[in-house]
Amino acid sequence: MPDLLAVENLRQIFGGRNRTYAVDDVSFRIPAEPRIVSLVGESGSGKSTIARIILGLLRPTAGTVLYDGVDIFRPDRSWNRRFRSEVQAVFQDPYSVYNPVYKAERVLKLVIRKFGLAKTKAEARERMEAALRAVDLQPDEVLDRHPHQLSGGQRQRLMLARVYLMRPRLIVADEPVSMIDAGMRASFLNILGDFRDNHGISTLFITHDLSTAMYLGGEIIVLYQGRIMETGATHSVMSAPMHPYAQLLIDSIPTPDPRRRWEEDLSSAPLSEIGGATVASAPNRDHCLFADRCPQVMEKCWAARPVLRAPAARAADAAHRDVACYLYD
Amino acid sequence: MPALLEIRGLSAGLQGRRAITQVISQIDLDVQAGEILGVVGESGCGKSTLATAIMRLLVPPQVLQSGSIRLRLAAGETVDLLAISESELRALRWRHLSYIPQGSMNSLNPVLRVGRQMMDTLIQHGLTSGEARARAIEALELVNLERKLLDSYPHELSGGMRQRVIIAAAVSMRPALIVADELTTALDVVTQRQILQELAAIRDELGATILLITHDMGVVAQIADRVAVMYAGKIAELGSVHGIFEAPRHPYSQGLIGSIPRASGQRVEGLPGEAPSPWNYPAGCRFHPRCPKVFDLCREHAPELMRQDSGRWAACHLYDDEVAAHA
Repeated sequence: MPDLLAVENLRQIFGGRNRTYAVDDVSFRIPAEPRIVSLVGESGSGKSTIARIILGLLRPTAGTVLYDGVDIFRPDRSWNRRFRSEVQAVFQDPYSVYNPVYKAERVLKLVIRKFGLAKTKAEARERMEAALRAVDLQPDEVLDRHPHQLSGGQRQRLMLARVYLMRPRLIVADEPVSMIDAGMRASFLNILGDFRDNHGISTLFITHDLSTAMYLGGEIIVLYQGRIMETGATHSVMSAPMHPYAQLLIDSIPTPDPRRRWEEDLSSAPLSEIGGATVASAPNRDHCLFADRCPQVMEKCWAARPVLRAPAARAADAAHRDVACYLYD
Repeated sequence: MPALLEIRGLSAGLQGRRAITQVISQIDLDVQAGEILGVVGESGCGKSTLATAIMRLLVPPQVLQSGSIRLRLAAGETVDLLAISESELRALRWRHLSYIPQGSMNSLNPVLRVGRQMMDTLIQHGLTSGEARARAIEALELVNLERKLLDSYPHELSGGMRQRVIIAAAVSMRPALIVADELTTALDVVTQRQILQELAAIRDELGATILLITHDMGVVAQIADRVAVMYAGKIAELGSVHGIFEAPRHPYSQGLIGSIPRASGQRVEGLPGEAPSPWNYPAGCRFHPRCPKVFDLCREHAPELMRQDSGRWAACHLYDDEVAAHA
């Protein structure tokens, strides 16, 4: 069985003279079995660009995206229709995706009509109610309301109900909880877990917020300036990151526990990141891009780009891990 | 020791055509000198309205309804920020209290150099241009920025650096009180951590007092000394950061802290229901429709913010007996 999604040597370069390497040779895969994979990174790390490419909204400069073994940019129309129904997007802003003049009901009705999901009105109603229950919404609380009468959390869950109607195999969710309140986040994330466990739906979860990635579990891909620094099982990477960048990133999460405060004080650390983290246009990229900030930098880090691979010294029973760092050669 | 800032009975609302819709109601809060007090709550709970009311920067249709805000000055005297004239207030701003509004890192003038923007304020407050320059450099150093930045334009700086320039400007007159609203919300975690640690260092070095308004429970847990939890325009609970996170008293604080996504494998549930908007604040305790421990009294009478024990305050009828026992 082919992988659900295989991203191979993806590269996206923007601009002419000042070329920006938004995505710089990224490869990863989501297997056929349902999974949740989190793609994390700071702003400018290329995570949203990767999402747009996978959704077919942007043609990459180089590299391929295979969905179920087929190149998504070279399909025929009927295949395209299948791809459009099997891969669904959930975006960041739960306010701007709705047409304000229509009731919430229409969002679901359109999908049912467009994809011929029900034969009778009663069946359509049944489908809608089942979808709403799957995302913890009461049908009579939302169907008859306009978008502005719903909270951010309700709107975002309504998007999941719409997705659920389609019964996709993959959800690409780009920062879906960053605009909903803390109290509502957990229930949104729980639904993605239910989708995976009970309905066989995989999610590619894109976020800058490591704590939500940690809650979701599954696998994690840590991006920095368009490159993958480390990848592996989320709980294992989060509890023992290997790449110095992943260590810094994970250590900097503001843990909601006053007993576990940051140990190291960065307040007088030199600001070597100045212009760094978001500017990916340096002319020479033939080195580790984290070298200028890395506390453990070595000479060879500046000589060539480290390859993403399994670390040399690792117990056989340890969870799978890949790191792009010379420390583990 | 008397508090640096004493807020009493502060209410503010939105002026409609016929009536005022109250947004924050009867807030009583003491901010102690030298502390970092975190004010947390979900969006719409009134925490930014509280900040703007303290700074007397409410703009129509926002209106102040009642209350007093007494700020203790260096000489030991106090002023009511809500009672003095606009020009008296202007003399206090920057010198005694300064404000870092939400999104202010995007408020720098794009056509003026950073140094000019920082120095303008200082010159307005009576410093010579030489003194202003020295102060600006000193302030930049507090946030780890080099003096050559004075000659940069805002677009040449990263988001984290722009936010640092704003902080530097806010502390350049060495104010006693800094009110910061969602200071690090748009920044990545590493920059957020650096800036919060710089803020704590500024508190230590200048002896400043910081009122930190945020929706992020992690930020509060990391750097606040005390926490005020707001819900529907009122303070639900107030206490030390350890007290609030380790043993929250108010059912809302319990729900808020319990709903934080933690490590994988531990499923947490979100708070049921939705927070009310000012147009439909429920009668009685405003949290009662979502409260798992609701009883009859909660539906009729709004609980007062009452002292529980050492330094803990909660507005919840569950603790009425305890309060009576203590009295």
